[in-house]
Order: sequence, then structure tokens, then C-alpha cells
Amino acid sequence: MLKYLSVGLIAQLLVNGILFGTMYGIAAIGLSLIFGTMRIIFIAQGTMIIFLAYICYWLFTLLGIDPYLSLIIIVPLSLLLGMGIYQALFKEAAALEDKNISLLIAIGLMFLMENLMTVIWTGNPRSILTIYTSLVFRPIGIDLTFTRLVALLMAVLSTAGVVLFLKKTLIGMAVRAASEDMVSAALVGIGPHRVNAVAFAIGIGLAGIAGVSLATIYPFDPFYGFIFVLKALISLALGGIGNVFGALLGGIILGLLESLASFFLSGGWSDAISYAVFLLVLMFKPEGLFVRSIQKA
Amino acid sequence: MENHLLEVKGVDVLYGDVQAVWDLSIHVDEGAIVALVGANGAGKTTLLKTISGIIHAKRGEILFSGKSLAKLSPQEVVDKGISHVPEGRRLFSKLTVLENLKLGAYPPRARPLSAKSLERAYDLFPVLKERKNQTAGSLSGGEQQMLAIARALMAQPDLLMLDEPSLGLSPILVRTMFELICTLNNQKVTILLVEQNIHQALKIANQAYVLKTGKIAMSGRGDELLANQEVQKAYIGERWSKR
Repeated sequence: MLKYLSVGLIAQLLVNGILFGTMYGIAAIGLSLIFGTMRIIFIAQGTMIIFLAYICYWLFTLLGIDPYLSLIIIVPLSLLLGMGIYQALFKEAAALEDKNISLLIAIGLMFLMENLMTVIWTGNPRSILTIYTSLVFRPIGIDLTFTRLVALLMAVLSTAGVVLFLKKTLIGMAVRAASEDMVSAALVGIGPHRVNAVAFAIGIGLAGIAGVSLATIYPFDPFYGFIFVLKALISLALGGIGNVFGALLGGIILGLLESLASFFLSGGWSDAISYAVFLLVLMFKPEGLFVRSIQKA
Repeated sequence: MENHLLEVKGVDVLYGDVQAVWDLSIHVDEGAIVALVGANGAGKTTLLKTISGIIHAKRGEILFSGKSLAKLSPQEVVDKGISHVPEGRRLFSKLTVLENLKLGAYPPRARPLSAKSLERAYDLFPVLKERKNQTAGSLSGGEQQMLAIARALMAQPDLLMLDEPSLGLSPILVRTMFELICTLNNQKVTILLVEQNIHQALKIANQAYVLKTGKIAMSGRGDELLANQEVQKAYIGERWSKR
């Protein structure tokens, strides 16, 4: 196999890895935000991404709306969906000391949605075929798929948007404050429900963007969401919880790792290596790869 | 009926099955400095937490400007005009000084005044202006305590509750802290102060309560308690009684 190896091929693998990893990254940012205020891993995040990919699929097949154009429907829809899910399912549980209740609700939601999606769209993979699905640029001998480039662009833009929101708006600051210390946040007047709802809205909003990216690149089925959220979780571990750019970078590293592993070893090994890296990072660098361990004064 | 800003009447507080505060009553007059003193575990912090709504009383009543605070959450209490600087400061250490201050003005009553309050905070603590873009976690202990108080003042409180503001500070900073409390009080902020530094606290207090295992052991004017033999023996010790 090694005799086929060339600089171009390696570059191609790296590019593919980066482009795919950005999707893990934005899913991880959503997980990170929801974890920040709710203190649970929102395990249904991947399933939400798949659900919103199906919405994109429906808008395309039933109404003929271009997937990228559909973002102007899907992003507001998913923001509202996030807020609605919090209000309907998590509001009561969020007030409880025992976070396992919220986690169980998230697990229940995931299974419910997987099965509902199977009823509506069957378990067969769906995909969106547009005129640009197989559009490829070859600027320097490396294939750059149009849809993956757009996915990268959307990931970078939405990450920057989230960072700006968290840094520049008062409610964004409140989300960061509550992620650090919920009691102290309450003492300055920040109600937990407000920040939880905002975290959910942004988390699911990002799932909408990831869903559209996914739908334009890969075939998907209702059960792919669970694997996706596991990958997002690994990205989060790599990037460190509470670090938005770190989560995106974590996703990209994971994408690279998988791309290289599946070429040099096999698809099966690629997943095994991902999970092994997950465990190793948690064992030896639990605060994430990009956080310098600061000695507390 | 006197003009009490805060009135705590017959309050019982329990942590699970353990009772921390027993049938406790205190009152804080408008414009006063009121000190709560006593040993560790006497229930001082618990009482502040109950007033600010972090925990709720099993029995009894808490009135602020005549209105009940029962069942209110902390974010509602702060919007009524009570700011609580908790023990250990509890700043948002990853956020900048400026972000901490801006969040101090989060309650609806304070939000429109945010810019003005910020100016006042910088006037009181010029060092915070110099450090406004640093993270709160990078400040020294004294600066952190100043930021905690400045953040609480951003909410435009009528009553400021301070839990051990002098804890962990150097003797010089402790003195600065007590001077600051008097300065704030002169600016019409009513103060409820929990302190281990009993001598200093009693010196500035108009009214003081000595707490012992969740009950009031003694109360009176600060200078009265300071002169009281029993208080001196039990809480202040030899060092001070010789003076």
C-alpha cells in the first residue's frame, strides 16, 4: 500500500479530515454550552442533528428549497426548537439537585426521536442530491468538495458568531457566568431558566447548521445521531469543556485522526482509535488539550 | 412601629434534618451598620443565605421594607434591593473585571443605571479600572474582595450583606476594608455584616447580634457589646481586653 503514498494523497487525507471534523466541532460546541449551564451531556444532540437534516431533506424534496437556502428556515426553527425542548422537558428537572434526571430525559428524548424518525422516514438512508453535490475544485491537485468547503465555512462562521454572542452580549456573559458558578450567578440576578433556555437554543441552533452540512454531504439514517454525539463528545474532551474554539479544534483533530486511521488501517480501526484517544485524553489531560494547567494561587 | 429596613422574625432553618438556625429574630434599621458575630457554625452565613433566597426558612418571616421575601429566588431578592457578597467572594474568575461588574447590574432595577454604577465603582476602586480587562481570577485577594463588593454595588442595593469581607486579607487591607464599609454606609447603603474579626466589626456597628449555635446569645449596640466582659472573654480574647 505504501507505494501509492504521495504528498498529494496525504494532503488529501488531511483536507478531508479537517473538513469533516468541523461538523463534529459544531456539535461539540452545542454540547459544551448545554453542559455549561445544565451540567449534563445532552446525549440527544446528534439525534437533533439528524432530525434537522431530515427537515432539510423534506424542504428539499417536498418544496424544492435549496439546502443552503433552507438555513434561513432551519436556523430560526432550531433555535425555537431548542428553547421549546428546554421549556417542555427540562425546566422542572433542571431545578433538581440530581442531574441524572435531566440526563435520563435526554436519553429518553433520543430514543423517542430515533423511533419517530424511523416511522416517518424509514430506516433506509436518505440523501440530498443537488447539482453541486459532486462539484469538486482541484486548486493544487487536491480535491476540494464544494459541499465540504461550505460546511467548513458555516462551521467557522457559526463558531465565530457564538463566541461573539458569549463575549459581547449581556445574556452571553450571563451564560458564561452561570457555567462557572450557578449560585453566584443567581446572587447577581441571573435566573437559571433564562440561561438554560439560551444554552439550549444555541446548542440546537448549531445542530441545525450541522444538520444541513451533513445532509448535503452524506447519506444519513435515524440511528446515525448516537454515533455522531459520541464523536462530538470526543471532540469536547479533546478541546476542553467550556472552550468554544477548543471544541471546534477538537472536532478537527478527531476528523484528521479518523481520516488517517481509516486510510492506513481500516474503518473499524478508525472508530476504535477515536475511542481510545477519548479515554487517553480523559486519563491524562482531562481539562482538554488546549488548556494550560494553571497552578491555583 | 419603627422604621426597620429588614426584619427577620422567628426564623428556623434546616439543612436536611440538621437545624442550623433556631427561632431567630433580628432587625436592620435603614442607614445602619449591623454586625452578626459569633463562632464558626453559629448560623451567621446560613442566615444571610436565607435572606438572599439561596435556602428557604422552614418557619418564620423575613420582611424587607415591610414586604415578605418568603419563597423568592435569589435573582428576585437582588432585584428587590438586597445584594449579598458571599463568603469566599465567588467571582466569575474566567470573566474579566469589567464583565463581572456589568453582570452585577443584571437585575432589571439596576440595568438602566449600569453606566452610572460602573463610574461609581471605578471611583470607589480605581484599581479595578486599571485591571478592567484582566480576568477576575488573576487579581490579588484584596482586589478580588473589592471586585466582589463593587459587583454587588452594581445592583444598586438598599441593603448590602457582606459575609466575612476581611477573611484572608492582610492586616492593612483589613483596615482598608472596614474603612470602606464605613464609606459605603455614609453613602446611604445599609450594611449587614458577618465577621470573624469581632473587635473591628463591633467597633463600627450601630447594632450587633452575637450568635451561638443558631440562636442569639446577646444583642445590643456595637460599643456596648465591645465593652461587655462576657463578650470579651468569649469572643475577643485576652489580646483585646487588655486595652
